[in-house]
Amino acid sequence: MSLKKGSSRIFLQAILIVIFSLFIGVIYNTISKEGISLKGNWSKKVLSDSLIVPYSYDKNDPPAITLAQAMTYFQSHNIIFLDARSETDYKAGHISKALNLPFEEFEKYYPKVEPLLTKDKNIITYCDGTECEASLFLARLLRDKGFKNLKIFFGGWTEWNKAGLPVQKSN
Amino acid sequence: MAAGPSGTKPGSRFRNLISFLMRELISNKWLVALFRLIVGITFLYASLDKIVHPDQFARIVYNYKILPGFLINIFAITLPWMELFCGLFLILGLLVESSSLLISLLLISFIIALSLNFLRGVDIACGCFTTDPNAKKEGAWLLIRDLVLLLMSLQILFFNRDFLSLQKIFRKK
Repeated sequence: MSLKKGSSRIFLQAILIVIFSLFIGVIYNTISKEGISLKGNWSKKVLSDSLIVPYSYDKNDPPAITLAQAMTYFQSHNIIFLDARSETDYKAGHISKALNLPFEEFEKYYPKVEPLLTKDKNIITYCDGTECEASLFLARLLRDKGFKNLKIFFGGWTEWNKAGLPVQKSN
Repeated sequence: MAAGPSGTKPGSRFRNLISFLMRELISNKWLVALFRLIVGITFLYASLDKIVHPDQFARIVYNYKILPGFLINIFAITLPWMELFCGLFLILGLLVESSSLLISLLLISFIIALSLNFLRGVDIACGCFTTDPNAKKEGAWLLIRDLVLLLMSLQILFFNRDFLSLQKIFRKK
């Protein structure tokens, strides 16, 4: 068996392959148009004490709101909460009166929700919590569809549920 | 004449035959060559999309929530090329042992990462927590695929005899 004969040689070659791949990868990444920064920024952004957003949140995105703001909106009339999580998660529990529009199956669910949305209505998207970006991506899709009064509640289901605010389950 | 070496019963003889055949099968040079081709093509194919879209791959790495942030991009830049070279080496029959060693280590870490997120209930596709059964099913399928590839890769690592490989030409010199 060749493995026993030269296991140290095999390990050395393996390390060389890794170093070579790193080398070629960095060179290709530098010359490629699709290249990314070597040290990416993947940490969450803290906008204020009560407002933490995912790293991918951009200043051109619809405004992010805090739990307190979400509560205030919840009590007003001209408002729709959109749950961007999967139907299973939505059914297991969601913000009261929220509609389900899973980001990952947008095309499938959008026609069902569309008649209930008007362009002047305040729309708040949310998903699981700060770690989750579905609410952000859903808000971007809706912005592209021409909706203006969009807001993103990044605290999402986790913060809302923890605060003991009105929730619903559906079967 | 005695039926066989003293103390050998017909039953254990049968068992010996079976284990002999198993050993022959598992170390079969054609099987090694076939596995090299399957694992090699799989890794070569898997690497291409990641090389073309490093940003998307980096996001997937981020979604696994295992590596610290400062390592994510450099990992996403290096790993696809490692897969490409190892896959290519397996197909051509060059540096077969070290390539299959690396591929085995990669697969072991993929399996650990997948299982960890499976237990934590993280949907890797979106990086968020979910109870969606479809996401669980997909995770299980990936796990099975990686386990099968790992078995093939280990077989290559332990039983490669340079059959149908360029390595053989270099070794003779």
